[in-house]
Amino acid sequence: MSWSLARKVSAALVAILVCTMALTAYFGYAKFAEQMSAQVQSRFSFVVFTIKRKVEDGLSLGFALRQLRQTQDTIELEKARDDRVLGIEIYDASGEVLFNTDRGGVGSAVPEAWIEVLKGAPGKAFSLTDEEAGVVGMPLVNTLGKVEGAVVLRYPAAYLEQGLGEMLGRLAFELVLVVSGFAMVAAVAAYVLLGAVTRRLGAMEATLAKVMAEGGEAVPDPGGGDDFEVRFAEFVARSREAVEHIRDSTDEVERMDRLA
Amino acid sequence: MRLDSSRSLLVRLFILAVLVLVPPTAIVSYRALGAFEQGMAPEMDKKAAIVGQDLRTQLERAVGYGVPLERMVGMTEFFAPVLAANPELRYLAVSDPDGRLLYLHGAETAELQADFRTAGFGTGRDGHKISVGPYFDVALPVQAKGGAVIGHLHVGFDRAYVTDRLANIFLDVAVVLSVSLIVAFEVLLFVVFFNITGPLKVAGWVVDRVRRGDFEHVPSVWSGDEVGHFVRAMSNSVRRTDEAYRGLMAYIEEVRTAHFDAGVVARVAEVADRVRFLFRFSPDGRPAPLGQRMATDIRLPLFLFVFAEEMSRSFMPLYAGGLATPLPGLSVEMMTALPIAFFMAAIALASPWAARVTERVGSSRAFVMGMVPAALGYVMTGFVFGLFDLLLWRVVSGVGYALVTVAAQTYISQAAREEQRAQGLGVYVGAVLTASICGTGIGGLLAERIGFGATFFVSGALVVLSGVLLARIMAESEPPAVVAVAARPKFRRLLANWRFTVLMLFAAVPAKMALTGFLFFLVPMILWQSSLTLSEIARMVVLYPLVMAVTSAIASRLSDRFQWRAGLVALGGLIGGIGLLAPVVLDGTLPIAIAIIALGLSHGLSASPQLALIPDVCWTECRAFGRVSIMALVRTIERAGSVAGPLIAAAFIPMWGLNGAVIGLGVLVLALAAFFAIASGAYGSGPHIETEEETA
Repeated sequence: MSWSLARKVSAALVAILVCTMALTAYFGYAKFAEQMSAQVQSRFSFVVFTIKRKVEDGLSLGFALRQLRQTQDTIELEKARDDRVLGIEIYDASGEVLFNTDRGGVGSAVPEAWIEVLKGAPGKAFSLTDEEAGVVGMPLVNTLGKVEGAVVLRYPAAYLEQGLGEMLGRLAFELVLVVSGFAMVAAVAAYVLLGAVTRRLGAMEATLAKVMAEGGEAVPDPGGGDDFEVRFAEFVARSREAVEHIRDSTDEVERMDRLA
Repeated sequence: MRLDSSRSLLVRLFILAVLVLVPPTAIVSYRALGAFEQGMAPEMDKKAAIVGQDLRTQLERAVGYGVPLERMVGMTEFFAPVLAANPELRYLAVSDPDGRLLYLHGAETAELQADFRTAGFGTGRDGHKISVGPYFDVALPVQAKGGAVIGHLHVGFDRAYVTDRLANIFLDVAVVLSVSLIVAFEVLLFVVFFNITGPLKVAGWVVDRVRRGDFEHVPSVWSGDEVGHFVRAMSNSVRRTDEAYRGLMAYIEEVRTAHFDAGVVARVAEVADRVRFLFRFSPDGRPAPLGQRMATDIRLPLFLFVFAEEMSRSFMPLYAGGLATPLPGLSVEMMTALPIAFFMAAIALASPWAARVTERVGSSRAFVMGMVPAALGYVMTGFVFGLFDLLLWRVVSGVGYALVTVAAQTYISQAAREEQRAQGLGVYVGAVLTASICGTGIGGLLAERIGFGATFFVSGALVVLSGVLLARIMAESEPPAVVAVAARPKFRRLLANWRFTVLMLFAAVPAKMALTGFLFFLVPMILWQSSLTLSEIARMVVLYPLVMAVTSAIASRLSDRFQWRAGLVALGGLIGGIGLLAPVVLDGTLPIAIAIIALGLSHGLSASPQLALIPDVCWTECRAFGRVSIMALVRTIERAGSVAGPLIAAAFIPMWGLNGAVIGLGVLVLALAAFFAIASGAYGSGPHIETEEETA
């Protein structure tokens, strides 16, 4: 398939435009998702922090973690305050769940990673992700500095898409509109810009065909003719001269051949 | 607009590219930022509310114990840790029911008081949000035991907080846009040169020949666009003239051999002589196609190839560091430096072999051959599990890199005529510099988002794209692969030339040591340790090619105009060495930025004059062995510095730490540059032919 100059240039520009906009949108969304995720985590971390403070107040009074029965009410109250919270759990250092907003989960074992994270960085807040949920947690530390367990809060991993799906859809539509609009601008402008080149080449080609067929002279465009056109006019003239000379010579030879 | 000159058309097309790329990016970014701000606002409100509710509970507990709200003590100590732990919050305050501020931490009373007195915060437990000057204020009612509202707790955050947090998006967008504009320029350059200017230049040569009556050639252009159509019309015209000539000659020959009248035979012979005197036609029976390779043909494939390699520039030591484990006698730092050193060593060792392959199969085929190991190396680098796999695949990539760069340089030097060799070299340097800027910038961004491994896959894909493009170019204009094999330079004879030896050991080698040891190896590690993100590291590293691109253009002119070559090389070396000492007096990332800029300035000043100095310094050797061979040897010696750089830096780290290693490298580079500066005083100017006399 042969492509015109304008089509080649506009295809190149449109391809670069699409790549640029795709990368811009991707990096922009990634940065926004990162900030939004940090903000969501920050909010849930604060919720976890308030629960931790209350539980540690109880621990400092000398109670064992599993004895702090009011903790169940506390975590259920916090879950009820925010419909984005999937669940809140408190587990001990061995990984047994002691309190859970889903009461059926009490007594079960937490994933190994939740225990590992306590060993890795005791005393520091942590965040994890599993297939469906984001997890923020904080270790529960007694007055002697020993890690007794942890409180974790789970929230939907697709929180961002769920909450902002409409807005992102609208932005994507705007993006497609803008790209389509400017792609058309690129195509039209490429045709206009290269139109001059195309027209001049077409005119020179037509002149060449006309002069070679009918005779006459190629005259460079007085308005826009450049050095190439001047040289080309000489090319046409010289080609015409050669053809005429050869034709005259052929006639001359023929004449001599016939007369003899 | 001249048809066979690209400048005006390129300028117009580049303006079009700017118009097509910048406004939509700006529009989409602006709209997205507004939407993102709106999207984040509810999260900010929720955070403020949840913090406020917790603080309010504690306040109400104190009030419940009988402490009046206006007589509480230690409120600053109460608020301070909350603000410290939640940086998005700007202030915390308590006001009485009339809006009079009782306690405030994090802002000035004057900023809020007037608005608070007139606001009317309401009594809803979930709180009330208002705009106060540069802040948003979430006010939560504080109730006494009976339920009466005795005041409000205020949580304030900056209205511009979200905008500030999202402002980084613009840096990423700016990088993407800059890279896109450079890529657009490179692509348009290729489209214009390959499809318009190049074919019309060839057509112009045929036009000039025909003007002189020479119909021996037709332009060899095969594209199906308007230029191809025009050139084919020209070719057809030449061919028709040629056919008419051959018809005449056949007729004359027939008359000469068959005619009985000697007079006629003599006269038709005169006609043939006259036609041959006036016009020249191909002796081969038909016009020969006239094609010409342009140095610019290879620029886009070369750009894409170097782009692919540069994508890992800002994170290679971090990638290697994640895989490195200490071995007896080798520190982790040394293991981390090995992939860079091995890659450079592979290039150095493979280059002579690459030159022989290029001589044998031609530069275009060698270019494509080099892409196979390069692409394989990049893809497999993305899959590696340990440092030894990484070393293997970096060596494979290095072999590919050597083949491609040697082939590209050979192609350009063959395509450019002698008087245009500097322009040809400019094509190579231009492609490498712009690719370096683009690849480094976008590579860091990509690695941050999709990971190191996936970024290497992108590199592999770019190399494949480069190969496909080149194969297409080759299909249209494959040149003969005949290259005269130059005599191999005698290394000992070259080293006996003290000017050459000093230039290599005290200018060229230290420059490469600083480049690989500092920029490629130490900079990513130091900046990563300073908690910069990968995209921020990339933006810092990209300062080097940016500064170099600007400086080298100026330095080349200075060097040519004033023949000031050794001086510029010495000045560049000193600047580079002094720049590396910046961590002696400054802390943080600023001295690293200064050192990168100084290195860019240093190499920008010295790179071109150093190349230009070689023919002067090695005048007799260039005559004996050819300039190309001498230059190839110079490249190989330089690469010894490239190999040594990261190894020396890695050896310094256990002794002096990362910043100490920069300083150590700086002292070494500065000492060598100072020696060169002193020695260069004895260089004099112009070609040094006494070496020939001495060796004769």
